[in-house]
Amino acid sequence: MSTMIPERSLTEQFPRLAQNGGLDVRELERLRARARRFAHEHMRPRALQIDRRTGEDPSSFDWDLVRAGAEAGMLGLLIPKPAGGAGGMSTQVAVVMEELCAACPGIALIFGAHALGISPLLLGGPSQWDGVLAELVASEYDSEPQLMACAITEPEAGTDVEDPDLLRHARITSHARRVPGGFRLSGTKRFISNGSVARWITLLMPTDPRRPAESWTCFLLDTRSEGFAVSRVEHKMGQRACPAAELTFDEVFVPAERIVSREGDGAAATTIVLACSRPPVAAIATGIARGAYERVLGWLQEDPAARGLAERQHVQLALAGMEEEIHLARQLYMDAATELDHTALGGVMSHPGVRALGHVPAGIRSRAPVRGWLASERARDATIALLHRSTSERAVTRSLALSSMAKARGGDVAMRVTGAALELVGLRAGPIRAELEKLWRDAKLTQIYEGTNQLNRLEVYRGLCHAETMNCLPPLRRVHPDPAAQAHTNGDGNAHLQPDPPQRANVDGNGGRS
Amino acid sequence: MSAATVSERAEIRAMARELASRELAPRAAALDAGGQDVLAECWRLLVQLGLDRVLLDERHGGAGLGVADLLATIEELAVGDGGIAMCVLLCNAALATLTDEQLAVVPSGARWALVPGAAGTEVRFSDGQLDGSLACALGAHGADGLVILLDGPQPAAWAIPRDAPGLKLQRDTDQMGLCAAPAASIEMAVIRSAQVTGEVDGSVGTASAPALLRAGTAAIAHGIARRAHGMALEYAHARRQGGVAIIEHDAVSDMLAAMAVRLACWPQIAADPAGLALDGERALAVKIAASDAAVASTTDAVQVFGGTGYMVETGIEKLMRDAKYCQLFPEPNWVAHDELMRSARAGRAA
Repeated sequence: MSTMIPERSLTEQFPRLAQNGGLDVRELERLRARARRFAHEHMRPRALQIDRRTGEDPSSFDWDLVRAGAEAGMLGLLIPKPAGGAGGMSTQVAVVMEELCAACPGIALIFGAHALGISPLLLGGPSQWDGVLAELVASEYDSEPQLMACAITEPEAGTDVEDPDLLRHARITSHARRVPGGFRLSGTKRFISNGSVARWITLLMPTDPRRPAESWTCFLLDTRSEGFAVSRVEHKMGQRACPAAELTFDEVFVPAERIVSREGDGAAATTIVLACSRPPVAAIATGIARGAYERVLGWLQEDPAARGLAERQHVQLALAGMEEEIHLARQLYMDAATELDHTALGGVMSHPGVRALGHVPAGIRSRAPVRGWLASERARDATIALLHRSTSERAVTRSLALSSMAKARGGDVAMRVTGAALELVGLRAGPIRAELEKLWRDAKLTQIYEGTNQLNRLEVYRGLCHAETMNCLPPLRRVHPDPAAQAHTNGDGNAHLQPDPPQRANVDGNGGRS
Repeated sequence: MSAATVSERAEIRAMARELASRELAPRAAALDAGGQDVLAECWRLLVQLGLDRVLLDERHGGAGLGVADLLATIEELAVGDGGIAMCVLLCNAALATLTDEQLAVVPSGARWALVPGAAGTEVRFSDGQLDGSLACALGAHGADGLVILLDGPQPAAWAIPRDAPGLKLQRDTDQMGLCAAPAASIEMAVIRSAQVTGEVDGSVGTASAPALLRAGTAAIAHGIARRAHGMALEYAHARRQGGVAIIEHDAVSDMLAAMAVRLACWPQIAADPAGLALDGERALAVKIAASDAAVASTTDAVQVFGGTGYMVETGIEKLMRDAKYCQLFPEPNWVAHDELMRSARAGRAA
């Protein structure tokens, strides 16, 4: 099969990569080559077979592929280096996703959803390095890799839980009730990729159902907890290799230390996570389009039934249109990813304090006093303070808009290119038709997940056309949203958020001066 | 055959609409899953109403109606299930090409399928024998007989009973759309019993079979688009987001409006349906327009449903797959474009 591997290096295509502090472009090239090899050897040969099987039994799952993916380094991309991972960010995940999705978007989504599950933990800073993240890395070495998932969507609330404004009016039915030592989680989450196979889930629920936006909180859930159940696995149109599950929570206990970041930081965390995850989703869409394009090129060259077609101008123009669309989609997602990594969040990971902490051996970090401090409220405040010092709400808003633009455009490109590819080959084309039909079915999801394309375009309006600045960073200091705190409220939507005391405005990311 | 009066046509249409909503739509998921029992069950209902022989006269157990009536019926059936509507189209088109003698031995209730040949397909006819293969022939799997249209400078139509020696059918298990018209790959190895039909150019009464297939596919596409619009509209009223029904959001209402516009254009596009099957070029154009509109509308409908629409159980993504097959059958739309231009060039040269 012919492939449309770009002839230019990543540096030649995206000069900004070389300017991106902390990003090793040669390492990125090697990562891309590794992903391509894994996709070619393990994914594409099994893609149709897995699609058929999961079409009949949506709960079936191929752990062998996950193990192979772990060996190829596809699971630890986002895990910080101090926790044993690759220390990648949005750019690395996006580059890998394009490669994997050109082979099979469904299998790729297993790794993408895993990365999405990890991403909220990054906002928890060093306190997360030696817990679950280290356990995930260790599980890869044991050949029993653990997967993660991220649970946001609810049966009555989909796109609106991904937007802070819509969240205020969303029909949220889940609730995290405060109890001694932690929270009891109740409710249902729906369409959760990897939900039925994940060992750990980062999930968002309100601690006060009357004020979901203000009390939206991220929890790290152990799926072996009592009261947690997978109530169904959905039968999807496409991307079937990765199961989408409905999860029910019946008074599931989560200890207080398993709150990711801080109580009430969930809405801001969601915004940042989406800014991080939409470039990879755009890359998924780009990869799908590229996969369809490559298959058509291969068919034109190799199938006797297609003999002479490539001489037709109609076909040449259609192929040129595909090439054009894929090229532009790639430029968009790389621009969004590098913007995010460079200006919005990259500063946090490359901050000298964080890097210094990364050099401290895990054995020392794991000692009770250090661990206790890292998990303390003060350390969490310090992590948020570092986020404020490294970026700004405007930078994140702009980054979210660019990511949303790439995602919406990418989804449309995936639909157009796969549709055009299918039309070129027609019903009589033989085995290639089944592959293209699968990619076309797979492509539709990219216009829907991570917020519908319509919502994404409204983010573009807000962040670029209207140049708004969203409240997308957690506040510097947070007061518990308990009833006593109501006395401090001013009655608006941000009622329980206290303004920062002047003496804390200089909180340093190291926590040393706080 | 004669066209029905206006009131008769309305009655036929109402009957098909009733059948679609009461019997077909509830079975659409099972039909989509490729269930042969449910297809047989639906086919029995269609036969009871005479919808398998709409174009045949009463001598052959038909209703003696015209092409416009068939197209109206097919459109209504497609609102219930596009694949079943395709079965009806293929059977009517196939039976209408047969001679009186051939029809006399086709048992009542038999399901035949017309299989259009295409440029580049490996089917040869020589010395009274047919050889070759055809991939993804819609409706061929499980059919009692096939009428194969051969393309080329001398078009011909061949009738082949299911049990003809040398005929091998293998179900296309990867069929994505219109699954109630189960596709098969066809292998023909020297079929001596293949009979040429009465009209060697594949005529259906006064219509041409390829034009009828295209006009019928257009009607199916339109029926699918109607169903998608209806489902999306209902959902948009019921689903709430941001404190209001989602139809209140411009992002959603814009898509619904675009669907309504496409539907509203249909009467103009498909004006004079009886003439449609006589005019090959217009049938091509209408098929292109209707299937493109159906793909756009069903894709938008899934978008209105959001994540829910991507799940098989809602039945909306099925419409998208069915509509896509209307773009690809009897030929991909770009090939149909090509044929249109070939006709235009030939007309200019003449």
